[in-house]
Amino acid sequence: MNIVVLVKQVPDMEKVKFDREAGRIDRSSAGTEINPFDLNALEAALQISENTNGKVTVLTMGPAQAEEALREAIARGADEGILLTDVKFGGSDVKATSTILSSAIKKAGQFDLVIAGIQSVDGDTGQVGAEVAGYLGIPHISNVEAIKNYTEEYIEVVSSVWESQYLKRGKYPLLITVTKDVNVPRLPSFKNKMKARKVEITKWSYEDLKEVLDPSKIGIKGSPTKVKKIEVPQQSMREGKLYKENDEKAVEDILNALKSCKVLKEA
Amino acid sequence: MTEKIYNGILIFAEQKNNAIHRVSYELLGKGKELSDKIDCSLNAVILGPEEINVQELICRGADKVYHIADSTAFNKPDELIYAENIVSLIKSIKPEICLFGATTFGRSLAPRVAASLETGLTADCTDLKTDSDMKLIQIRPAFSENILAHIKSDIYPQMATVRYKEFEEAKRDADRTGELIKIEPVKTNNDLIEILEEISNDGINIQDAKVVVAAGVSVKSAEDLSMINELAYLLGGEVGASRALVETGIISKDHQVGYSGNRVKPAVYIACGISGAPQHLAGMKEAGVIIAINNDPSAPIFDIADYSIVGDMYKIIPEIISAIRNNELTI
Amino acid sequence: MNETVIKKMQEILGEAWVVTDLEKVKSYCDDQTEKAMKPEICTDCVVVKPSKTEEISKIMKYANENKLTVIARGGGTSLSGAAIAIMPGIIISMERMNNIIEVDETSMTVECEAGVTLLQLVELFNKHDTLYFPIHPGDEGAQVGGLVVMNAGGVRAVRYGVMRDQIKEMEMVLASGEVVRLGKNLIKNNAGLDLKNLIVGSEGILGIVTKATLSIKPKDKHIGSLIVSFENESDAVKAVTEIFKTGIKPMAIEYMEKKAILKAAKDIGMTWPSSEGAVDLYFIVSERKEDDLYEMYEIIVGICEENNALNSFVAESSKDQRTLLDIRSHVYPSMHDEVVDAIDAAIPMKNLSKYMDSITKISEKYNVHISTIGHIGDGNLHNSILTEGAVKPDNYDEIADEIFALVMECGGSITGEHGIGKIRNKKMNLQFSETELRLMKEIKKIFDPNNILNPGTAL
Repeated sequence: MNIVVLVKQVPDMEKVKFDREAGRIDRSSAGTEINPFDLNALEAALQISENTNGKVTVLTMGPAQAEEALREAIARGADEGILLTDVKFGGSDVKATSTILSSAIKKAGQFDLVIAGIQSVDGDTGQVGAEVAGYLGIPHISNVEAIKNYTEEYIEVVSSVWESQYLKRGKYPLLITVTKDVNVPRLPSFKNKMKARKVEITKWSYEDLKEVLDPSKIGIKGSPTKVKKIEVPQQSMREGKLYKENDEKAVEDILNALKSCKVLKEA
Repeated sequence: MTEKIYNGILIFAEQKNNAIHRVSYELLGKGKELSDKIDCSLNAVILGPEEINVQELICRGADKVYHIADSTAFNKPDELIYAENIVSLIKSIKPEICLFGATTFGRSLAPRVAASLETGLTADCTDLKTDSDMKLIQIRPAFSENILAHIKSDIYPQMATVRYKEFEEAKRDADRTGELIKIEPVKTNNDLIEILEEISNDGINIQDAKVVVAAGVSVKSAEDLSMINELAYLLGGEVGASRALVETGIISKDHQVGYSGNRVKPAVYIACGISGAPQHLAGMKEAGVIIAINNDPSAPIFDIADYSIVGDMYKIIPEIISAIRNNELTI
Repeated sequence: MNETVIKKMQEILGEAWVVTDLEKVKSYCDDQTEKAMKPEICTDCVVVKPSKTEEISKIMKYANENKLTVIARGGGTSLSGAAIAIMPGIIISMERMNNIIEVDETSMTVECEAGVTLLQLVELFNKHDTLYFPIHPGDEGAQVGGLVVMNAGGVRAVRYGVMRDQIKEMEMVLASGEVVRLGKNLIKNNAGLDLKNLIVGSEGILGIVTKATLSIKPKDKHIGSLIVSFENESDAVKAVTEIFKTGIKPMAIEYMEKKAILKAAKDIGMTWPSSEGAVDLYFIVSERKEDDLYEMYEIIVGICEENNALNSFVAESSKDQRTLLDIRSHVYPSMHDEVVDAIDAAIPMKNLSKYMDSITKISEKYNVHISTIGHIGDGNLHNSILTEGAVKPDNYDEIADEIFALVMECGGSITGEHGIGKIRNKKMNLQFSETELRLMKEIKKIFDPNNILNPGTAL
């Protein structure tokens, strides 16, 4: 069984700084890591692959240093890594990113299952997985919280959707997006870690994909959505209101607070 | 001025078991504001059986309601069937703006629709505005909610999913009229995905709860806990507990909030009779709004609370509960 | 508690900061010492919450004049009964003195009030690009004042030492109410007797620390954690001693019984990376260059493998490493319900193997489960005697006596980091001569002639 895992290199969110005055994000002091949900995707792939004698290919798009994310994935057990890197890919939005990723999946060869994390912690859109499925023309199952069963033909998963959970069976080829509940990602063994430091990473640029990729659909040019402005909202200060022997006012203010944070509303 | 090729706003009205999801009314509320500005029509699409009360969408402001009707096809969350039918409608009516609720289903469905239409999509918007050229400005949080990005799309339709409970619902006008257009579905089955069953989910999930009502050792018995349960229920939240209360055995460890329990970040945290040991604070101080009730004015919890109420929780909590009931407030 | 005392406290602090409600007071009279070891708690106390050194000074002056017992209390995380009230008195909770006063990046120090929690420091420096506070004894509710007077240790002592090694300066209120500043923010300071270092580890019997200036360390750019599993404990111990012989210095080396670490992980809903074997070593390694880090890994894993290691895992993302440290920090809380006594002896490195083997023999001889978890990298092991429900076994005294005799035979100390508190006082004569004990008692008398500060502790 051939499984493709989509990963993204993201900054360590604890270390990212937000400059309110300039409306800027400063990632300079933040290290990078694999998007945490993508580690769940990788773990799911590794478990399935181990039981079906399959192969796990990790795919990422990003700058040259995103290679580190692939090495980390290989250290954790992936068989191969492909880095899509080209200045032409820069500035891609969800649509252009999904277009590039799906064309690379096609080029990589026959696949059964594509697994992605539910969302990235920096972009936060949670749309790339389903759009990639759309561009590949294959079905997808999103918000997978548990993998119940799989064979060479299909996989059965619990999808948290429609305000409930559904047991769905999807035939390959199929894309699923997973949540953090689906498993606990393993740590790399020391041996794999050392091996991954030296392993060859496949790098594809636009040139390598041009047979399957329309140049007008990638990068800034190919991105219909554009960020016009970034606002860094002020961290709200605690209200710090104190009530003593004044229950009536306290209850009134609490109800208003509950309404303004949309917990309660008028019937 | 030449007539626009893409015209009008289309909102996706989600339904389950023939009940319309409230986010649909919120989309109509915001949609109305936008359509007034742009000077265009506001329409809705709903997929589901004949029995759905689609007139309600008209009462809530839709000019036209496209009802793609089938007795069974839309009774399960199958993104593929939904997407193909919606795409077919959009291709024929060409709306300039398309809005989906950012529910779990909306967030799974909208990208498929966007991919089919080869248009852009902005996820999880918390505000929508129009620019001077009457294009949509889509405002959404990113970087784990640390920034707000203002995004414009230069392909039609301009598509976005919109966060639930972010906007006011459209007011209901029982006398409002509009056009109801029934449409035959273009796809009613999907051989690739089989939805085997709906699984009931009743475990407690305090980590993802929007509201946590937490109790400390002032709670002396399981009976005392009932008012805490009731308040949590009324607010659609979960019950939390201090380590000390868990140690008494009155409540199970799944409820424990703190450094050595669950670390929670709900929109609202109500601490009832919890003094606020550092151990506990470590697990909840990131909450949006903190409300603390304690009879000890020196309780450390008050240092981090937005609303600090010094007094007897056995008196104040029932007062809050009855105020919620008397004012007919719901979640 | 005497009404006059309460009135006086209210006069000094204002009514809101004087707690007399029995339920509330109770929670300030106890700490995290094992139930079976705890002295009897006295709840006939008044809890006061000052916000300024001057208030503490006034309280002490009054208490000293009226010979009232005073206990200064931090996060209540002591494991030796140091914060337990055993007689009526005033409990000074430092919780409101929680300001971090200054981070001095030139001297690399942080000055804080005594009520600042370890969590505050951890969070402050998580956000800092280049500096951090190196001491992490476990429970992040611990406060600076407690860390200082208990001379807390924790996992990173291998490279950075313990609290004593971090304290540059402190402000302290004496029993008389006088305020003194001890030490200076200097590297070399050779003037006079070193009173500051007398206070470190004095367990609250010499004065009340109100502020402290602590050293902070540069963050290495590359930090990694290694988990290595072994089938038997003697292999693990041997690997550690071999690693020391190479001269390399990881930040931390922890030794953990597998059962205990797996239970801790389960209790907080996390997963420990390795399920094989009976014992794990947990190394935290940090270097300025990535290649150096990997060289360090290779040396460590190489030696472990020569000593029959089963497998090894590497964690490098901050989240993964935090998970490991969180699980490690929860080992003790998760076994707390079964711990009769957590003996935290420190043993010279050369006798570690002998000590560990003998503990196994004692465990077999008395047919009692002795769980070993600890900071093996600095020789400080936690041997916890476990029983169901933490009931003291009939032969507890024999077991403990035998363990402490072994500690002495190995040239160790009866406590590495938990302190004497109110639970090891009777063992002091194992380690100290009559003369030494007399000197300690006389020093106590000089600082606190009326014996009002945390009586029954440390000596």
